[in-house]
Amino acid sequence: MPPPAATGVKPMRNPLSPASLLEGASESGYVRSLIAGTVGMLALLGVSGLAFPDSVAGDLAGIVFSTSTATSTARLAAPIVLAGLGGIFAEKSGVINIGLEGLLIISAFVSVYAASVVGVGNAVLGVPALAIAFLAGIAASTFLSAVFAVVCIEFKADQIIAGLAVWLIALGLAPFLSTVFFGGVNTPNLGVSVGWQYSATMVVFATAGSWWLLNKTAFGKHLRAAGENPKALDTVGVSVSQVRYAGVLLSGVLSGVGGSALALSIGQFVGSGETMVQGKGFIAIVAYLFGNYNPLGTLGAGALFAGLDAIQIRLQQLGYAIPDTLVQTIPYVVVIVVLTLVGRTQIPEAAGEHYETEE
Amino acid sequence: MSDSAPDGDRTESLLARVVAPFVDRSVAERLVISVAAILLSIVVGFALVLVSGRIAQCSTAAWTMPLTGIGFCYDPIEVYVVLFNGALGYPFAVGDPGLFNPAWTPFNLSFGLTLSETTLLIFTGLSVAVAFRAGLFNIGTQGQLVVGALSTALSVLALAPLLPAGPVAGAVLIVVGTAAGAVGGGLWGAIPGALKAYADANEVITTIMLNFVAANVAYVLVLEVFRAEGSSVVATRYVPEYAQFPSVLFPPSTDFALLALAGGIAFIGALYYFVEHTSLGYDLRTSGVQAAAAEYGGVNAKLTTVRAMTLSGALGGIGGAVWVLMSEGRWMASIPDLGFDGITVSILAGNNPIGVLPAAFLFGVLKGGALEIGFRTDVPTELVAVLRGLIILFVAMPEFFRMIGRYTGVGGTAGGPGGAASAESDASAGGDGGEADA
Repeated sequence: MPPPAATGVKPMRNPLSPASLLEGASESGYVRSLIAGTVGMLALLGVSGLAFPDSVAGDLAGIVFSTSTATSTARLAAPIVLAGLGGIFAEKSGVINIGLEGLLIISAFVSVYAASVVGVGNAVLGVPALAIAFLAGIAASTFLSAVFAVVCIEFKADQIIAGLAVWLIALGLAPFLSTVFFGGVNTPNLGVSVGWQYSATMVVFATAGSWWLLNKTAFGKHLRAAGENPKALDTVGVSVSQVRYAGVLLSGVLSGVGGSALALSIGQFVGSGETMVQGKGFIAIVAYLFGNYNPLGTLGAGALFAGLDAIQIRLQQLGYAIPDTLVQTIPYVVVIVVLTLVGRTQIPEAAGEHYETEE
Repeated sequence: MSDSAPDGDRTESLLARVVAPFVDRSVAERLVISVAAILLSIVVGFALVLVSGRIAQCSTAAWTMPLTGIGFCYDPIEVYVVLFNGALGYPFAVGDPGLFNPAWTPFNLSFGLTLSETTLLIFTGLSVAVAFRAGLFNIGTQGQLVVGALSTALSVLALAPLLPAGPVAGAVLIVVGTAAGAVGGGLWGAIPGALKAYADANEVITTIMLNFVAANVAYVLVLEVFRAEGSSVVATRYVPEYAQFPSVLFPPSTDFALLALAGGIAFIGALYYFVEHTSLGYDLRTSGVQAAAAEYGGVNAKLTTVRAMTLSGALGGIGGAVWVLMSEGRWMASIPDLGFDGITVSILAGNNPIGVLPAAFLFGVLKGGALEIGFRTDVPTELVAVLRGLIILFVAMPEFFRMIGRYTGVGGTAGGPGGAASAESDASAGGDGGEADA
C-alpha cells in the first residue's frame, strides 16, 4: 500500500496537481530554449532555402525537409531517445547508469542473433521472428542491467566505474559472440529491416509512457524520492533498494528496445571499432541532461542529435567536397557544445551515492 | 579531528572519510582485491569459452569434458595455457617432459611483444591514474594518444630532413617527438579539463565525445594532407629508422625497446613522487577527494582540474609518441585500444602510479597472449576485451570479495572503515629516489 506522499521529499511539485502535459513540458528553461532554438533554426533554414534555392542553404533546406531525412532521423532517434528515457529512470532513482552504451550494444547484437536463429519469416508459437528478436534484445539488455544493479546496489560498487565496465564488457562480448557464431565481428545481413514507422511509434509511446510513469504514478514519486531523499522514502516504509532496482531494470528494458530497433532497422550488427552504436548511449545521456530529466525534453534533444546525424548522412550522399569523416564528427561536437552550454543540471541529490538502510 | 589541527590536517581527515573505495584501503587489501578480481574474471572467461564452445559449429571437438563426454569446440584450458605461457614465449614445457622449456630465453619474440604492450600501457595507465587521483574520469586517453601520436609523427617527419642522419640526430628527434606528443596530447586533454572547470561539463561524456572527434579529425588530416605516397592504408610516411627507439637484445620484429620501458618506469617513479610528495600533487589529490575542502584549504580547484587533465593528456600523448617511435614507425589510422586498456590498468592499480607497473605487465601479458590465442586456437581474440571489462567490474565491487571473505572465513582482508584512518599514509611504501617533478 503506497503511502499518500513520501513526506519530507523536498523540492518537488505535486505530481498529482492538474498540470497539463504542455505545462510540464515548458516548465524547464532548458526545454523551452531547446524548442525555441530548434524551431527558430528550422524557420531560418526554410526561409533562406526558399530565398536562395541554388545555394548551400537551399541544398541544406532540401535535406532537412526531405522525407528521407525524416525517416532516417526516426530510425537514428530510437536508440538515443529510448536509452535516454531509460537513463532518466535509473538516475532519478539514484543510480547513474553510464553503461547505457553497453546495453545498446548487447541488445543490438542479441536481437540480430535471435532473428537469425529463428530465421526471418519463421515464427515460434505464433510469434514472428522479428518480435522474438526484439524480446531477446530486451532480455539481454535487461539481464546486463540487472548485473549492473546488483553490483551497484548490493555490492556498493562505484556507479561510474561499474557503468564503464558494463560498456567495456559489451564492447568485447558482442564482437566475441559474433565471431563465435558468424565467424566475424560483423553479422551477415538478415535481409529484412524494421521500418522507421515502428521505431517512431515505439519512441512516441515510450516517451508518453515514461512521462506518465514519472509524473502521474506513486512509482514515479518513489523513484524521485529514492534519488533525492532516500532516507525519507525509507522512513515511510518503501524499500530504497527495490525502487532503485526497478529504476535500473527499466533502463535495461528501454535500452533493449532501442538497441534492437537500431540493429533491426538495418538488419545487421556491425561490431568493428566502436560497434554500430558509435557512442549513441553516451549521446543519450547528454540528451536527457539537455532535456533536464524530462521525457519530452529528452525526445526533443534525441531527435535533434539524430537529425544532425541524418543530415550528415544525406550530405555525404550529395557529395559535398567535405570529407565524410569530418561531417560525421559534427554530432559529437554538437554534443560537447550542448553539454558545455547546459552545464550543471539538477542532478538528483543522492545520485551516485550508496544508501544504507537503517534498521 | 581535534580543533587545533591546522587546515591541512583538517582537509586530510575529511579526505580520509570521503574518499572512495579506491584510496582509503590498505595496500594489502587492494592487492588482494585486484588479484581476486583477475582470478574471478578468468573463471567467468573460462565459463564463457566453454559455453560458446558448446554453441559454436566445428567438425571435431577440441576438448571433451571428463566424465560427461560432452564435446566442445574450444578448449578452455588450452586457451589460458596459450594465453599466459605464450605471452612469455613458452617458458614452461606443457606436454613435454620437464617443467621448463630448455630452449627458452627471455629475449624471444612473444615476450618482446608482451613487453612492448606493457610499455605502452604504462603510459596510458599513468594517464588515467593521474586524472583519477584528481577525481576526474579521463576516458579520453585514447583520443589524447591519437592526437599525441600524430603530433609526434608530423614533427619528427618535419624535422628529420633538417638534421644530418645519425645517432645524434636520432636522439634529438626522439626527444623532440616525445615532447611534441606530450604537447599534442596535453592540449587535447586540457579541453575537457577546461570545460569541466569553467562550464561544469561532465568530463566522462566530453572525453568520450572527444575520442570520436580526435579519431575522425586525425584520420581526415592524414587522408587529405599527410598521407604517404602510394600507401594502401591511411598512414603517414615512416619516420627514419635512426629516429626510432632501437631494439636492443630483443629481435627487431618485436617492436620493443628496453629504453622505452626504462623511460616508462622512470615516469612511474617521477609521477609517484609528484603525486605523493609535492605540493602540486597534494592539491591534485585533495581536489580529487573533496573539491570544497580543497578550496577551503586554499587550492584553486578549477585550475587544478585543468592542470590534472593536461598532465593526464600529456601522458596519453607520450604513450602515442612511444607507439609511433617504438611500435609502428608511423601514424596510421587503426590505432589499438591502448587508451581504454589504460582505464583497466589504472583501476587495477588502485590508481597508484607504483601499481601501474604490475597492472600494465599483466595487461601486456593478456594482449601478447591474445596474439598467441589467434595463432594457436580457434577462440576469438576478442576474449581479452571481455576479460578487460570483467576485471574492471570486479575491481569496482570490493564489497563482494569482503562478503565472500566473511562467509568463507578467509577474511584476512577485513579492512572495513577502520583502515580509513591511515588513508593517505601508504607513502612509506618506498622513498623512491625520484626524478625531479614531472
